[in-house]
Amino acid sequence: MPPEIPRFARDKLKKILFLVTDAYGGHGGIALFNREFCAALEGVEITVIPRVVRGLVQDPPPHVHFVAEAAEGPVAYLRAVAAARRAKPDLVICGHVNLLPLAFGRPLLVVHGIEAWKRRRLPLSRCSAVLSVSALTRDRFTGWSGFDGPTFVLPNAVHLDHYGIRPKREDFIARYRLEGKRVLLTVGRLEAAERSKGFDEMLEVLPDLPEDVVYMIAGGGNDAPRLQLRARELGVASRVVFTGLFADEEKQDLYNLADAYVMPSRGEGFGFVFLEAMACGVPAIGSKLDGGREALLDGKLGMLVDPTNRAEIRAAILETLERGERRIPEGLEYFSFENFADRANAVIQALTSNRVATSSV
Amino acid sequence: MFAYRSGAIGREELEAITARMIPRGPDAGGTWVSPDGRVGLGSRRLAIIDLSDEGTQPMWDVAGELVIVFNGEIYNYAELRASLERGGARFHSHSDTEVLLALYRRDGARMTDLLRGMFAFAIWDTRTRRMFVARDPYGIKPLYLADDGATIRIASEVKALLAGGKVPAAVDPAAAAGFFLMGSVPEPFTIRRDVRAIEPGTSFFIDDGRGIVDERRFFSIAEIFRDAKEDLLVDAAVFVRERVEESVAHHLVSDVPVGVFLSAGIDSSAIAQLAARRTPLHTFTLSFAEFSEAPLAERFARELGTTQTTRTVARDEFLADLPRFFERMDQPTIDGVNTWFISKAVHEAGIKVALSGVGGDELLGGYPSFTNIPRMVRFPRLARAAGALRRHPKARLIAEYGRTYAGAYLLQRGLFLPGELPSILGEEVAREGLERLQPLSIIERTLAPDPETPFGRVAAMEASLYMRNQLLRDADWASMAHSVEVRTPLVDAYLLRQLAHMLPQQRDKSALAANLPGYLRDRPKTGFFVPMKEWLDLPEDGTSTRMRSWARRVWESLSRA
Repeated sequence: MPPEIPRFARDKLKKILFLVTDAYGGHGGIALFNREFCAALEGVEITVIPRVVRGLVQDPPPHVHFVAEAAEGPVAYLRAVAAARRAKPDLVICGHVNLLPLAFGRPLLVVHGIEAWKRRRLPLSRCSAVLSVSALTRDRFTGWSGFDGPTFVLPNAVHLDHYGIRPKREDFIARYRLEGKRVLLTVGRLEAAERSKGFDEMLEVLPDLPEDVVYMIAGGGNDAPRLQLRARELGVASRVVFTGLFADEEKQDLYNLADAYVMPSRGEGFGFVFLEAMACGVPAIGSKLDGGREALLDGKLGMLVDPTNRAEIRAAILETLERGERRIPEGLEYFSFENFADRANAVIQALTSNRVATSSV
Repeated sequence: MFAYRSGAIGREELEAITARMIPRGPDAGGTWVSPDGRVGLGSRRLAIIDLSDEGTQPMWDVAGELVIVFNGEIYNYAELRASLERGGARFHSHSDTEVLLALYRRDGARMTDLLRGMFAFAIWDTRTRRMFVARDPYGIKPLYLADDGATIRIASEVKALLAGGKVPAAVDPAAAAGFFLMGSVPEPFTIRRDVRAIEPGTSFFIDDGRGIVDERRFFSIAEIFRDAKEDLLVDAAVFVRERVEESVAHHLVSDVPVGVFLSAGIDSSAIAQLAARRTPLHTFTLSFAEFSEAPLAERFARELGTTQTTRTVARDEFLADLPRFFERMDQPTIDGVNTWFISKAVHEAGIKVALSGVGGDELLGGYPSFTNIPRMVRFPRLARAAGALRRHPKARLIAEYGRTYAGAYLLQRGLFLPGELPSILGEEVAREGLERLQPLSIIERTLAPDPETPFGRVAAMEASLYMRNQLLRDADWASMAHSVEVRTPLVDAYLLRQLAHMLPQQRDKSALAANLPGYLRDRPKTGFFVPMKEWLDLPEDGTSTRMRSWARRVWESLSRA
């Protein structure tokens, strides 16, 4: 366990403004990170202004003021930002590089993944500091931007008590025809514009794996037709299961169907799904070329492969299936919410100490 | 050695072959002959990982069923070992050599797909009476074979195979033609007709009674470029730096201190910079009275905080070393002098391992050929006119050769041209040599399957021809002559696979140069220059460097039996 980190002085910092793409009522890793970050800063008044509210709005905690109406359109968003500016927040946090032009003062910029890996024009000189979900994203961001201010790494959190090892659900086994099969799983959006989850690599490895191994792709997206065609070309269509979009409450049971969670990806800023899989006791195989490496604590929690080398992917899968072990890996608590909250508070502590200028000019 | 038909191998021959390689491995050595006398293995060792006697070769696995001789380094051996141990494998040493044995036991021939490093090895499997032989993807480590129909002999040097006295010394006319065309003998030919180079990125078995079977290609540069997925998720320059840094980190795996060859060029400077972040480093720079980049290199070394050695070489030392230089030169080459002296300096400092920036130009498109060849193929008439204006001797040949990538490459890299060979070698040898060599088809083979982009094509040719036959081969013999192992972080199959999709977009050195000081970054590219002309009083030959005269001198010396 890390040493206890003192919570920052609440009296020095009372109001935070947090500009986000989405948070409550949002799907995906960035929305989740934003909600967890707010939760961790309990005791401070946080105004959260979202660009998008997709689904049902989860109830924000009492210390969070969620300006849902800002998501109605660009004008509504600008109006909400202007109102927030008049309230003179003590700290502005910009939750996405796309929102940086709208942020004022000396914001703390949060970077997640591919949105921050490529060169683009940004008013970075105004940023007081950068917070990244992984050292990889931090380095790729500072690599092209030359940002030389303070940086912090705050990896995603997983609520270990929300997950656990469960038996494979019989109705799911029937639904996906998994009787007597060993299941490899990847969860993620099938995005034609990105193709970075490693689905192609997995399909290419599949012919070289034992016949009883099937590959389950859990998620919706516009790349599904191409991947289905690819599976047919490779002669493995009968061994690939596409779940399509799935309901959130089915997620845990999907993870628990898997004998290995495999994602030989190239575009993960961190790879929160690894934490979920491992919290369900599913052994994980991640990538050496993206943030998956950090989600697996550099190989301590799961195996790492180079996604450009099919033989490495295959060898890791065979070894994992051979072991056939379901357990929650020792050391996963590194990513517990408690540790996340301590780290988040330490970041704010460092920002409010005199070392970093964050106040409005 | 494997007498795969019948009979027995010659023990004295095995000893003689092994003894020839003592400078490669002065630390230890050994030979082993099977009880029936059919199989013999010999090895000389330069101890770098696991310095104990447990690392000595020929090495057996714990079960006493597999025995190996191995030349090279496996940079990911610790990761492979951990995986093998989880699967129940047991080890008696801490060496990478033993990991190869366990990996062979688990994966058979497929083991090579998981190796990151440079290697040439043979494993004798007593269970199946088969020998497994493999050479690394790029051919960083040499491996030669002579098969007389009854016995197969394999070694790291052509001269070692001949040292046993059983392999005929007849010179191959194809090697003669190839050497004068390209400046080195192109694989699979060697200077000796009865010896061939084992193709890089391939493996095979030698079966009792049958000879070579089950040949398998496990790596192809052309294929990697063809299959590269087009996506740019990351800033290309940032990604190149990140991946090169990771490759350098892998290449620092060692139980002894590591040095770096430091010129004032971008590749070696970047490698020194990345390596110096991770380990105390000794940097080495070569300097001649006639040509020196030492002041810049020394300044950079000071800034990096490395222990810097600048080694000055003058004419007298060169002339004194020349007999031994030719004696250790395994096959004729017009290069190798710089590696010879820098390795000598490394050895003098008591260092056994040095990183080199070789391969940076092939990886990142640093040669003019990356522009010239595609242009010549697209606009042959324009190229011909431009050449004629400059009264270039090759201009009239552009019509003949300039229409294909292979032809344009031969023009670009040619030392002599096919039409000039008879005057050097005589009509008969030149004709037979060219017929056996088929220079264009040798070049074309490096382009199958088609890498599809102009960059990919030139990169595949440069890496499979100039780099393999000249740069890597010279780096090997000229360093091993001084018991120094050269490591090449920019010549790495993993690195190529990771970068292949973005190289056509990031085809310059800016990615590596970005973090270097301005005095290194902003200077024009200069080739490394050895003042051979001044040292040897080479006769006029139509080139400014007198390389053609030097080539004749090398050939005279090396083609003698």
